[in-house]
Amino acid sequence: MSLSTSAPKGRDKPAIIVGFLLLALAGVLWSDAVNLSRVAAYGIGPAVMPKMIAGGLVLLGLLSILSGLRQNGKAPEPADFGPVGILVIGFLLLTAIIGFGGGFIAGMAVLFAITAFAFGRRAPLVDLALGLVLSALIYLLFSKLLTLSLPQGPLERLFS
Amino acid sequence: MSITKRECVAGALACLWVLGSVGAASAQLELKILAPAAPGGGWDGTARAMQQVLTATGIGKGVQVTNVPGAGGSIGLAQFVNTAKGDPNQLMVNGFVMVGSLISNKSPVTLSMVTPIARLTAEAEVIVVPATSPIQSATDLVAAMKADIAKVTFAGGSAGGVDHILAGLLAGTVGLDGSKVNYVPFSGGGEALAALLSGRVSAGISGWGEFEGQVKAGKLRAIAVTSPERLPGNPTPTLREQGIALDLLNWRSVMAAPGISAEQKKTLSDAIDRMVKSKEWKDILAQRGWDDAYLPEPAFGEFLKNEQGRVEAVLKSVGLVK
Amino acid sequence: MESFYALISGFAVALTAANLLYASIGVLLGTAVGVLPGIGPAVTVALLLPITFKLDPSGSLIMFAGIYYGAMYGGSTTSILINTPGESASMATALQGNLMAKSGRAGPALATSAIGSFFAGLIATAGIAFLAPWMVKFAVQFGPEDYFALMVVAFVTVSATFGDSPLKGLISLFCGLALGLIGIDKLTGQSRLTFGLPELLDGVEVTTLAVGLFAIGEAMFVVSRRRSVEEIMPMTGSLWMSKADWKRSWKPWLRGTLFGFPIGALPAGGAEIPTFLSYSTEKRLSKHPEEWDTIGAIEGVAGPEAANNASVAGTLVPLLSLGLPTSATAAILLAGFQQFGLNPGPLLFAEKPDLVWGLIASLFIANAMLVVLNLPLVGIWVKLLKIPTPWLYAGILMFAAMGSIATKGSIAELLMLLVFGVLGFLMRRYDYPVAPMVVGLILGPMAESQFRRALQISIGDPLVLVQSPIAATLLGIAFLALVAPFIAGGLSRFKAQED
Repeated sequence: MSLSTSAPKGRDKPAIIVGFLLLALAGVLWSDAVNLSRVAAYGIGPAVMPKMIAGGLVLLGLLSILSGLRQNGKAPEPADFGPVGILVIGFLLLTAIIGFGGGFIAGMAVLFAITAFAFGRRAPLVDLALGLVLSALIYLLFSKLLTLSLPQGPLERLFS
Repeated sequence: MSITKRECVAGALACLWVLGSVGAASAQLELKILAPAAPGGGWDGTARAMQQVLTATGIGKGVQVTNVPGAGGSIGLAQFVNTAKGDPNQLMVNGFVMVGSLISNKSPVTLSMVTPIARLTAEAEVIVVPATSPIQSATDLVAAMKADIAKVTFAGGSAGGVDHILAGLLAGTVGLDGSKVNYVPFSGGGEALAALLSGRVSAGISGWGEFEGQVKAGKLRAIAVTSPERLPGNPTPTLREQGIALDLLNWRSVMAAPGISAEQKKTLSDAIDRMVKSKEWKDILAQRGWDDAYLPEPAFGEFLKNEQGRVEAVLKSVGLVK
Repeated sequence: MESFYALISGFAVALTAANLLYASIGVLLGTAVGVLPGIGPAVTVALLLPITFKLDPSGSLIMFAGIYYGAMYGGSTTSILINTPGESASMATALQGNLMAKSGRAGPALATSAIGSFFAGLIATAGIAFLAPWMVKFAVQFGPEDYFALMVVAFVTVSATFGDSPLKGLISLFCGLALGLIGIDKLTGQSRLTFGLPELLDGVEVTTLAVGLFAIGEAMFVVSRRRSVEEIMPMTGSLWMSKADWKRSWKPWLRGTLFGFPIGALPAGGAEIPTFLSYSTEKRLSKHPEEWDTIGAIEGVAGPEAANNASVAGTLVPLLSLGLPTSATAAILLAGFQQFGLNPGPLLFAEKPDLVWGLIASLFIANAMLVVLNLPLVGIWVKLLKIPTPWLYAGILMFAAMGSIATKGSIAELLMLLVFGVLGFLMRRYDYPVAPMVVGLILGPMAESQFRRALQISIGDPLVLVQSPIAATLLGIAFLALVAPFIAGGLSRFKAQED
């Protein structure tokens, strides 16, 4: 991250970073492609397309770096990263609840309540209750009508 | 407003569902069936048919079907091995295709980790050629392959699937190099059929059901079926009749969890036995056009081992597995 | 004429009270599940298959047809209102539709999509009735090289989704192409870029990427600017289409239908390519180019929606006349036919005319029911946008996650959704367009497979790619579409100099 210190004003830092990321992505594609065993007896094998895409990425990466060095970046609008972080946490909690057997309804209700919190509501219990009702309705629709199997948890067992 | 309407529909359909599943008996098993595929596929269909029959006959109650799709069943199997261990109330549906996909995906879990119960259904594969093709029989097809194997293009389902394995086995059986077979995988049955109807490919491989309509309409010619005997009411000769010592069935089976006791295995085997012998099961087979291929333990375990060996060998010969 | 009489007798079958009931249950269910992302018509029909076995064949097939059409209507609703395309074919609708919704014109956007779908469905269903035998002959002739040429045409149109920086658009497109490589290679069965994770073997689901980038990414973007920007989505203007809206919609409906129906009838045509083609055509022909990046252009909703619905009807052409299932739903419908011992195919029209024509007639009826059902619903849907922002977005995130949980139920899928959400947020923040990435993911794998399949069948002879007249024509069109803007630009400059 030496870029942040060395880049003088008048450069588009994000474009330069994106350029390097594209070069790295191209590297990943290429190294995966060369490790494929060549099994196509006719026509072209599975490694050709990844190599072509990697080539395109290298070109675009270099262009992005060049354009980043040449021109001024438009400074992005000021942003609040806190609420974004809260959204991410809400999503991770949903994943964790489902992963550890908490079930669909509980996971969805937590996601609902945390998202509402991130958007500025300060009534977590009301939101949690609302989320529970909504996700229970969805659960019933999916599992009873469509017989789809949704992640089971303590709340779901009440319905079966 | 719309919600209440929707709920009415939901209610009506739920009633239909319940009506179809009345019946009760003693010693009911509370079973969970895992279908290692998305809703709508063949394994899912089998699991749901089992659910229907087990409930309707009263062999089981509250039978649940869970879908764990992904990677030709590898993901479902991994979950089954990890979470169902020692649970005598869990079953998993699987089939021939899983044998192949486990090998070619280098899956860390294998079918030897679960408890085999029984083979349930099977479908014969059929080899077809366009109606205008000079190829009249499997013998002609083999002769064409021997003349120039590259020029005989096969259309079929996904790489490493049952259609591909048949092409590889066919080449191997007649003494050709499996890795030279020009097998073109298509994503959907429709696309492969179109390639055949337009005469772009020399031959097509799929389950009989997929080609039936076109064969009957005279657009395609069925030159061989892969079952040991001819299919009932179907004049297509078998591969064996044409001097090719090869048969292959695309079978589906049911497995139980790893680490269950011999007694628990027997309970499950008996339940499946009663299910297979019920009228309801026979009705469903007739509806769906599935062929009964019931093979209980211990014969099924032997069969499975054989299939695993054969599939591994052919996947090596076509170059899918090193 | 013969078809015409057959169709009349088909209406006699479809218009019985019982069959009308099945059709209405079908469209209601279809709309309901179409609104839910991830639960497409294929899954719904598959799950309802055992239930319908208790009905009679024509009744249940009529119900399936209702579900099929209904799901398509429902899918566009979430795209427009909450930027959550339920399936890949609604992505193009989301682009302009959601811009319109945000600038207070959700009503006209929903209306043009409902009426456009009706219009396209009507023409395309008539197409099934009268053109099917002729079309199917053409469709079957399409080989891998022709599909590849069609993909090339579609790729040329991608630039319509680029926004103002071609470099950023291309970067987004190539990242999508790279994502498309993940998973088992269709032609050789080898795994690419899966890093030993079995969850990646099936590749990246298009809806996961689209929902992540569009819905979740946008929720993050909105919340990050909550303090600096005014609340969004005021409902302004009329709920219904104005005279000008009608005037701007009817040609895109017609053009969309012309893209959708024939391409949908191709065995590997699908619904995505016609929607992209329609989108870029409308953008190019638009008399209001300034609206496309600001308040949303109604042409960009009308065209793709018509194309989407027409392609759905198109897939029924090969299904009914050849028994070729060309989409997941068509495959399930085929299973539905077989459940009743019917084999769609060349003989079905001759053997079971009342059933086939009853089905075609009920498609007309389902279509009419849907527009009757959906136009009044527009008012209700639009009110949804008046839900307080925190609840609205909480609901959107729930919807977004639900699709992944319901179909896959895997943690890996949810994490992927989150990663794409963060990516979508960063791309929005730094002005990278998100749509090209989804286009790349859809078109890349299709183009690669068809290209390699063509070469495999020809045993490596590259000439096959241009020898077919269809492929040559399509490549010619692609070339023209690529150079036309430059020539037009040159001409106008030339004219300007002359003045």
